[in-house]
Amino acid sequence: MTIVKASKKHPLYEELAAIVGEDRVNDNQVIISSYTQDACHLTAERPGIVVLPNTVEEVQAIVKLCNRTKTPLIPAGGRNGICGAYLPRVKGSVMLDMASMDKIVTIDEDVMTVTVEAGLRWAELIHRLDEKGYKLGFRGPYGGNAGTVGGSTSINSIGYAASKYGPSTEGVVSLEVVLANGNIVQTGTGWKKGARPFARYSAFHDLTGVFLGDHGTLAVKTKVTLKIYPKAEFITYGDFGFKTLEDACAAFLEVQKRGLTEELNLLCDRQSTDTFFPGFLDRHSEINAMFAAIAQETDEQLASRKMEIVREIALEHGGKDLGNFAAQMHWGEMFNLVQPLYNNGFWLNTCHLRPITLIPELMKRDLEIFKKHKLLKNGIKWIASCLGADRAFATGWVTIFAPDKSKMELALKAWNEMLDATIDSGGCPYWSGLLWENRVLKTVSKPFLDTYKVIKNALDPNSIFSPHVFEGVD
Amino acid sequence: MEYTNLSKYAEELWLCARCGDCSLADKTVASKRDVFLPCAVKNVLGFEAYSARGRIMVMNDLLNDKIDLTDDVLQWLYTCTTCKGCQETCAATAEGIKLPEMTEALRNDLVNAGYELPKHKAIEESIINLGNPYKEERDKRLDLFGERDWPEMADVIYFVGCTSAYREKEIAKTTVELLDKAGVNYTILPEEECCGSVLLRLGHKRAFDALTKKNIEAIKKTGAKQIVSACAGCFRTWKIDVPKEGHSHDFEILHITEFLDQLVQEGKVAFRSPKPIKVTYHDPCHLGRHAEVYEAPRRVIEAVENVELVEMETNKRYAHCCGSGGGVKGSHGELADKIGANRIKEAEETGADLLVTACPFCHRGLVDGAKYGNSKLEVLDLPEFLLPFMVEATGKREVGENPLKTEFMAYLSNHPKIFDGLKKDAVIDYDIEGDRFHLVIAKKGQVVVYPIRAENADVELTFSKGAVRKLVTFESEEEYAKQFGLFFKEPTDDEWIKFNLRLNLVKLLMKGYRKFAQKAGLI
Ligand SMILES: Cc1cc2nc3c(=O)[nH]c(=O)nc-3n(C[C@H](O)[C@H](O)[C@H](O)COP(=O)(O)OP(=O)(O)OC[C@H]3O[C@@H](n4cnc5c(N)ncnc54)[C@H](O)[C@@H]3O)c2cc1C
Ligand code: SF4
Ligand code: SF4
Repeated sequence: MTIVKASKKHPLYEELAAIVGEDRVNDNQVIISSYTQDACHLTAERPGIVVLPNTVEEVQAIVKLCNRTKTPLIPAGGRNGICGAYLPRVKGSVMLDMASMDKIVTIDEDVMTVTVEAGLRWAELIHRLDEKGYKLGFRGPYGGNAGTVGGSTSINSIGYAASKYGPSTEGVVSLEVVLANGNIVQTGTGWKKGARPFARYSAFHDLTGVFLGDHGTLAVKTKVTLKIYPKAEFITYGDFGFKTLEDACAAFLEVQKRGLTEELNLLCDRQSTDTFFPGFLDRHSEINAMFAAIAQETDEQLASRKMEIVREIALEHGGKDLGNFAAQMHWGEMFNLVQPLYNNGFWLNTCHLRPITLIPELMKRDLEIFKKHKLLKNGIKWIASCLGADRAFATGWVTIFAPDKSKMELALKAWNEMLDATIDSGGCPYWSGLLWENRVLKTVSKPFLDTYKVIKNALDPNSIFSPHVFEGVD
Repeated sequence: MEYTNLSKYAEELWLCARCGDCSLADKTVASKRDVFLPCAVKNVLGFEAYSARGRIMVMNDLLNDKIDLTDDVLQWLYTCTTCKGCQETCAATAEGIKLPEMTEALRNDLVNAGYELPKHKAIEESIINLGNPYKEERDKRLDLFGERDWPEMADVIYFVGCTSAYREKEIAKTTVELLDKAGVNYTILPEEECCGSVLLRLGHKRAFDALTKKNIEAIKKTGAKQIVSACAGCFRTWKIDVPKEGHSHDFEILHITEFLDQLVQEGKVAFRSPKPIKVTYHDPCHLGRHAEVYEAPRRVIEAVENVELVEMETNKRYAHCCGSGGGVKGSHGELADKIGANRIKEAEETGADLLVTACPFCHRGLVDGAKYGNSKLEVLDLPEFLLPFMVEATGKREVGENPLKTEFMAYLSNHPKIFDGLKKDAVIDYDIEGDRFHLVIAKKGQVVVYPIRAENADVELTFSKGAVRKLVTFESEEEYAKQFGLFFKEPTDDEWIKFNLRLNLVKLLMKGYRKFAQKAGLI
């Protein structure tokens, strides 16, 4: 049913309504307002019309319509990205809100995969798998209550359980995508008619990889097949503190190299720990950096032994056993950890990847920026946190919180310098989006970008999918 | 256009970081809260503008003049049931971003500026002229009770409310019969006026003060100390809104579920079903999220012999709304029916024989929802459900029958230092493998232990029996705290403690839990 009636001014209104019905297409400005930002402060153009498809056939028909009329089309997931990736760069775009394509298509227990519609959110996927006795590898970004599998794999999201399983994209076995010409393509073993999507690499090159991290520029993902694992009931936790960030990073690297943990979360200085878990280090005045470690296994002894080894490594590097409260809270509050931090103010993020050995360099640069702008005096707190990821690298999540509107200008100044420092000190963003794009384009090699453009032109010659993404932001 | 009331929320509107939890979260497994797609309205209408996240974006656009104030805005604004599901889900601030308040503030701004739905104007006029929103005659209000003289003085006022008086009469009739049978010294106001709930919800606040003053005066004359209501809307208005709108009074405000719960605990009433039945319970938003009464109705249902209570997937503070509140039923009837039908489906999934609720508005909404969704599930309001099962009471119910529970309760009462640092009114719920009680910080150095589960605990602590047996042996609070921490950090099969945080971390810290955790060696 419809309450706020469409204004029916968008040129494709009638044809879109013929595809999905009037209840699921709307160009009224009241409806449009709610699709003009994601979970960061950045803004771009307002979409021209929003459509809620329910099936791949509807997506296909919408894509064909947009291609025929050369109308920009932007896929959107949970819209809780933090780089403005889903925001249109041009006026009049058709926005596909994929959130109602959220079904679990199959759990294939023989080959341990789950196939889901792209608009399914990570938290619900975990819930449904848990009921059946399974877990995912990568569990979802920290915003996985609203973040979707399709959205996350389109921007290389990374988060829970990355220590063992790497980013969201590493868990992908196969994709179903709708191309600009309306073709529906299944990747992985899906190349073979009637085959189940059970393996990613088969007979051809890795077509899956072409669409991962594409920021919605090459196709609409309609289904994603992910690896699953038996639910592991035995979880062990450990918190370890270090006098210096360098010691912490050395231990962190060793733990990560040995593949011991499901989740490994480094907090780079005392302020970061205090922002996350106020009071946690009050009794440990000598500690500057800490990490929380989580091991998860189907066998109790294995889980315990792994945490013992983590402990041994930490102590060998001069670490102190701080108990396990932070690790337990961290894991127990899955997808709920970051939102309480909004109480400190609106957040400005710098999410990126970096070698673990380059974490101290970043911290040095950022601390100088914090000092220069007297952030703490201005009530602007920070968190510098790094997750162990995929063998031996880390995410870098240095975030500052502007306590109110009046402090936003100062926070933005510091944040822009932090973004430069991040890139200069060896960081590579997970995603581009409005947030990183200009900096990414400054540092990208020409042959790399040209290759992307060749693929884009070949797959989407009318550039209907998210036009002008990867071309720079005004 | 001046948004005088909405502007007061400008900082909070800015602080919402659009994480989307209030729209799309499923916290059932990942963080063990029964949240599932919290906005019942968005779940039907699909577009983000109908969830709190979207509403906040629309409000920001209105405040920043990015969109015009049109009739569409008015239609949109009255699709929110103000059920507070979003706010309860939102972890961004201690209270959660206050979308229901913002919605009412914007409604009030629009009404003040002359933008109002004709239906709402008619409701306001009916309340002013006839004392009820249904255009019913004032002097027919108590007709449903037949010829009866109500005492002029009594201990308790049963505040009937317009919906029970004119629409859901069975609720009022059964409530009165229950009170009669229980021998309660009560009366009814012969000139009861609408409580004004609907005016506040719709943003038509002008007439509220006069109604409330009139009702308060009338109650004072009866000498009553307690006001009991079987309507969740009236109850919330009396308990929360009346003081908030600046009217002071000394009456104790109780919902019928709380009142009956007390009678059950005191052994003054008892209930027995002749055959086993499985019941599920729908939390009215006014009673639950807005007034934090979750356990009393459940205890009353569970006190009925032969009745098994089963929970829906979303329940208590995260329960989906029935769809009828906040003016939605009157403004957009089919939307309310669809939301009601969704809630009925949830109830059916439990396998219950019966759905019980505790609000005439929810009752109507759910009955209509069942009809809309072609469901045969029977929906009863709590007094209707209970009345046929009333049996002779056999005296005070035994509480603390488990000796370990009694011992632990006594131990905690005698060791208030364990809770040093916790602020007044902090509530901890204790669960010894199924046996519940709770503890409230009354003031510094003083705790009160109650033998029942807390209505709305900050934290739930579950203990193995082995852990309790050991903990109660410690003389000093320090030893207790140390062992408590160890049971959490290094649990064994027999001796363990688990936590379930019911509030978000920000609020827990504000309530002083940091020191509590430090004493227990957790941090
Ligand atoms: C509290 C909080 C914590 C967060 N923590 C993390 C974190 O730890 N790690 C992290 O990586 N991110 C984090 N984020 C950001 C966010 O959770 C992730 O980026 C998430 O992956 C976004 O998913 P989405 O579905 O909301 O994508 P959207 O924001 O909707 O879209 C992202 C991009 O994907 C494209 N897209 C979406 N769906 C499709 C589709 N079906 N086909 C093709 N393209 C599509 C869009 O066009 C856009 O370019 C956090 C956010 C919040 C609010
Ligand atoms: S209201 Fe709260 S839960 Fe909803 S989007 Fe804003 S911050 Fe998130
Ligand atoms: S108050 Fe209820 S209906 Fe309104 S936005 Fe929040 S969850 Fe939705």
